[in-house]
Amino acid sequence: MKQFRINETHQVSPVYALFIIKGMQVGVSVFSFQRIVSRDSEQDAWIPVMVMGLSTLVIMWIMLRLLKNEQAYGMPDLFAMHRRFFGPWIGNLFSAVIIAYEFCIVIIFMRAYIELLQMWVFPRLPVLSFTAIFCLIVWYIVMGGFRTITGTFLLSFIYLLPLFLVNSFSVTEAHFNNLLPLFDHSPAELARSFIKLSPCYLGFESLLFFYPFLKRPQQAEKWCYYGLLTSLSVYVTTTVLGTVYFSQGELQTLIWPLLDFWKSIHFPLFDRFEYIGIVYWLTVLIPNISMGVWIVSRGIKQSAPVIKQKYALVPVLLLLILICVVMKERSQIDWLNTTVSRVGLCIIYIYIPFLLFWQWILKKKEGMTHEKELSHHHDADAAQRLHRR
Amino acid sequence: MKKSLVIIMMLMLLSGCIEDNIIDDILMAEAEGYDYIGNNQVIGTITTPNYAQGGVSGSGGGGLPATASMMSSATTVTYDGRSLAENLQPKGQKKIKVGKLRIMLFNEALLKHGFEKTIHFRNQDPEVGRDMYLAMVDGSTKDLLTATYQTAIPISRYVYDLIFQNQQQNFPKNNLSTFLYSYYGRYADPMMPIIKREKDHIVLTGIMFFKHDKYAGRINGQQKAFIFKTLVENFKFGFYDYTFQQNEHAVLENVSSSRQYVVKNGNSATPDIFATIRITGYVRQGSPLLKTKDYNSTIKRGMEKDLEKQIKKMVAGFQKSGIDPIELGQIVRSYTRHFDGASWSDRYPNARFHVKTKINIVETGVSQPR
Repeated sequence: MKQFRINETHQVSPVYALFIIKGMQVGVSVFSFQRIVSRDSEQDAWIPVMVMGLSTLVIMWIMLRLLKNEQAYGMPDLFAMHRRFFGPWIGNLFSAVIIAYEFCIVIIFMRAYIELLQMWVFPRLPVLSFTAIFCLIVWYIVMGGFRTITGTFLLSFIYLLPLFLVNSFSVTEAHFNNLLPLFDHSPAELARSFIKLSPCYLGFESLLFFYPFLKRPQQAEKWCYYGLLTSLSVYVTTTVLGTVYFSQGELQTLIWPLLDFWKSIHFPLFDRFEYIGIVYWLTVLIPNISMGVWIVSRGIKQSAPVIKQKYALVPVLLLLILICVVMKERSQIDWLNTTVSRVGLCIIYIYIPFLLFWQWILKKKEGMTHEKELSHHHDADAAQRLHRR
Repeated sequence: MKKSLVIIMMLMLLSGCIEDNIIDDILMAEAEGYDYIGNNQVIGTITTPNYAQGGVSGSGGGGLPATASMMSSATTVTYDGRSLAENLQPKGQKKIKVGKLRIMLFNEALLKHGFEKTIHFRNQDPEVGRDMYLAMVDGSTKDLLTATYQTAIPISRYVYDLIFQNQQQNFPKNNLSTFLYSYYGRYADPMMPIIKREKDHIVLTGIMFFKHDKYAGRINGQQKAFIFKTLVENFKFGFYDYTFQQNEHAVLENVSSSRQYVVKNGNSATPDIFATIRITGYVRQGSPLLKTKDYNSTIKRGMEKDLEKQIKKMVAGFQKSGIDPIELGQIVRSYTRHFDGASWSDRYPNARFHVKTKINIVETGVSQPR
């Protein structure tokens, strides 16, 4: 049974669940989602944002249930679950799909950030050298183990607090009547926004991979919910900001509305805030990419135990560099982003509840066989007793 | 270990590939001016600050000015909507950069022609901040930008400060950010301040209004600007000069002004818009004819009537010419469920605008009149 538990020296305190989940959810999409989400639902855009945020709480409950039940059978993470539920072959196939999905998310993050840097700060930024240096940092962090990754999440949480205070600059120029009339859109329009919104909240499903690394998982549950609520508040305030600071027509012309808002802020010492903000956003990217790469390399190790995680890590990072260099156009990133977010939507809303259902079925089946065994035992006992007599 | 160290060092070398913009080695365009000369051609002028250092007396070598020899303005002819900084590079002593652009000036002819391309370019270009000022110039922008004034600070900052301080008072807030807000916003039209050169001064003379991207009218003077400002924003400083009889004035300095709109029948052919404007203020400059009790009766009521009359006249003028700088369309939209936006431009001139002003004169100065 010993391989089912992670050594306590590699585990982290329950409170870190908040930083990891919030960190995984708030990524580069914060800059751009307002336009996409308000295309259909205009001033009511905050409603789908709120609804999706609340729905993640439900999914989180399902995930926690799933993982808690799984503790009795083995390692409580998705890769081990796949093997137990579907057998080694199909299970590993599913794991491969999940690994590919996580890897695509890493690529999108990396590529979207590079695009941001190239567009706003350094138009001539060479992709190869940036990703190479960046991957070196990621390699260093992932080699440090899970606790190091968690540490970077904590740092990024602290670093980001002042950045969100900047949002209060919008209040003086806000047109709050832009939010009126409330609830003026049909459910169909809201649903369309809801689907387009999906890349924002994705990321909290990483709990399925790092759950065994949490000390006292019972206590960690509430921090998981708090993490979701933190990112919910971030997204709702950013949506409201986009609605009250920009007019709807203007918002539709802006690809990164939040950066355009930062563009109108200046301080006595630095004239333009968005340069600081974008470069500062690197502190969000580092833990995010590290976590993604950690999940991918751990998935490879879990599915094929011959390969050690540190050996799996290097080709993963090299592939990341390669793909980032090859992908050049915005349309490619956009395509990958939409595809992956649709897949992500299916994973969290269909696949995870399905897993819980499957686990319940397995348990029932097992219970039945157990009972049969018991009754069989009973019969044998009776026969023995009879025989003795 | 050594091998990996070498690799790391080599990776560090890669980071030197990005171009840098050292502030001493570039020319920062701080003001752009556009004069329309017909046939889609403009004369574009940029100015860059000239950091002329006075010679340091007592030091050897006469203390030669460090950057006094840098160019300070350049002019070119190009098609409208073209980036001036790029077009002027051949004239640039050093690389011209627009990252710190503070003001953009346009002459009346260009605004009458329409400057959609320039605005589109400004919205598309990430290099320029959004808190810069746009302004119309009475006369030639080139003259205004290249003339010498009483002040020695660069013209760009002179104009910037001028507009900034006036927008704290009687003139409504307006910069690139708010301009784009109403330019791209549905049911709204943008505006910008008008400046003018008077010998060695620059004067803020009024506000001009757009219909989409074209000149559609103007108001002159800070009185009118105050009236307009009460309709578009809540503000704290400003003054209103009330003439209660021939040659007799009372000036209201406002401490706060707030506006409130209520809309009824927003989707009907003649929507009703009710505006309530509340102004609280001091009188610090009144006619010697007035007694303290007069302020709370005749003057107060007179001011209210006068403001209401002027506001109604102004709004009726806007409705007649079909422009909406007050963003009444936005207000009606926000008060109306399932707002019928398509027919709004037809309904806007027929909208009934009702206004009520409530003035509260708090204090009347430190001397007791008679």
